[in-house]
Amino acid sequence: MSAATAIAGAIEVRGVSKWFAGNDGQPLQVLDNIQLEVAAQSVVAILGASGCGKSTLLNIISGLVTPERGDIRINGVAARDFDDWRSISYMFQEDRLLPWRTAQRNVEFALEAGSMPRSERESRARESLKLVGLDSFADAFPYQLSGGMRSRVALARSLVQEPCILLMDEPFSRLDALTRAQMHEELLRIQALKQMTIVFVTHDVEEAVVLADHVVVLAPRPGRVREQVAIDLPRPRDTTEAATAQLTHQLKSLI
Amino acid sequence: MAEAPAIPLRGTPSRFRAGIILQRLALVGGILGVWWICSLGVPHYILPGPARVWNALLQISASGDLWHNLGITLYRVGVGFVLATLIGLPLGILFGANRRIGEFFEPVIPVMNTVSSAIWAIFALIWFGVSNATTIFVVFMTAMPLIITNVWQGTRTVNADFIELARVLRMPSWKVMVKIYLPTILPYFFSGARLAFGFGWRVSLVAETLGSSSGVGYRLRQAADLIQTDQVFAWTLTLVVMMAVLEMGILRPLEDHLFRWKKEAEQQ
Repeated sequence: MSAATAIAGAIEVRGVSKWFAGNDGQPLQVLDNIQLEVAAQSVVAILGASGCGKSTLLNIISGLVTPERGDIRINGVAARDFDDWRSISYMFQEDRLLPWRTAQRNVEFALEAGSMPRSERESRARESLKLVGLDSFADAFPYQLSGGMRSRVALARSLVQEPCILLMDEPFSRLDALTRAQMHEELLRIQALKQMTIVFVTHDVEEAVVLADHVVVLAPRPGRVREQVAIDLPRPRDTTEAATAQLTHQLKSLI
Repeated sequence: MAEAPAIPLRGTPSRFRAGIILQRLALVGGILGVWWICSLGVPHYILPGPARVWNALLQISASGDLWHNLGITLYRVGVGFVLATLIGLPLGILFGANRRIGEFFEPVIPVMNTVSSAIWAIFALIWFGVSNATTIFVVFMTAMPLIITNVWQGTRTVNADFIELARVLRMPSWKVMVKIYLPTILPYFFSGARLAFGFGWRVSLVAETLGSSSGVGYRLRQAADLIQTDQVFAWTLTLVVMMAVLEMGILRPLEDHLFRWKKEAEQQ
């Protein structure tokens, strides 16, 4: 990693506004003056109802979308000068596994953009699959895996670059409740191990409460920050406990 | 949800397979029997019996006639097919990747498909005379539109989600072509190529009948002209066996291997 300083993984979003072309040709504002700070190695949830521009915000942080106003700083560097985009990885709502590749080769895919030698790609992908507990399924094709396992392969693929920032767009929303809870545990275990910054988008209040150090609640049309809530409860968090249940209730009233 | 992967059973049970082999043998035996009975009351230059055709086959095989002409025809089909692939594959990708170019050329393909291969053969004869190029040209003109059409269709199925994934990884566009476009197109290309090869093989005979002094098509016409009906049958049999060997010995195993991720997924 090139700029592994004390602030590696910190993100600042300063006064970001974004417009898209609407159906009638008129510009439609999706984000209005978003202001937020993500501390390095923290877990931040961007919480909001659908249509509040939370995915757009994530795409702006990842550099996929450029805002009309405001700017982003990553590791203290302005986004336009930032050149280490491969240290940021992105996990989508769908697993997006290439059906013609085995689990192992799907994980390797994330390393194939650069010029890493094949042997190193292979060993790092194997390590990453081991991290998510799927090393014995390295040679399985996606269709041979269950939904939870596919999600683990997608997680392994986003971890294999050893990112300092992991962005996730409702990554577990398609899983059943039990599998989702397992993935939450898995993610927290890996975060504690790898010390990376995680920013994830969700509309699931309980998911935000279980995972995040910090919750940013967005209000819709146009998306703006309604509330920022720090969560200082010990992990693992149980949603049925009084403190978490109260927080869940409080956040639900905000969206 | 069970976490164990559902890996389907590979292959068929041997008892079942033995049954199929017996069925096939019975079918071949039945056809030979009907053929033999029909040939009994007819002069041999109208319908030669199986034994006569077998002798003719042994004869052209022993004299080297068979291998020489089969080789020449296969060479022409092969060259025409490879040229059609070299030009059809990039064109199909181009038409698919660039909508304006695709829309502009769209009417050309059906027109090319409707032109009979006999017409291509006559044009080829005018332009190239009696030479290898005549047959190669006809195979090429028949196979290329088929390959373009299939590859073009394949580019439309490229998953935009995978392209976005590659973008997030900052993957250069030539790698996106190789790692996402090509594997998506490959099954379409393969079915197009298979069709094109089959067509090419058939039209090569038409071309050789009209404008060639060697090859299976030429020998077929010659045998017919000389009323050597047993040889006509022998050449036809050779073609059928040749196609079956290519199909079952090369194409199908290759396809099974290349698209194992796909076939098994569809079976589920």
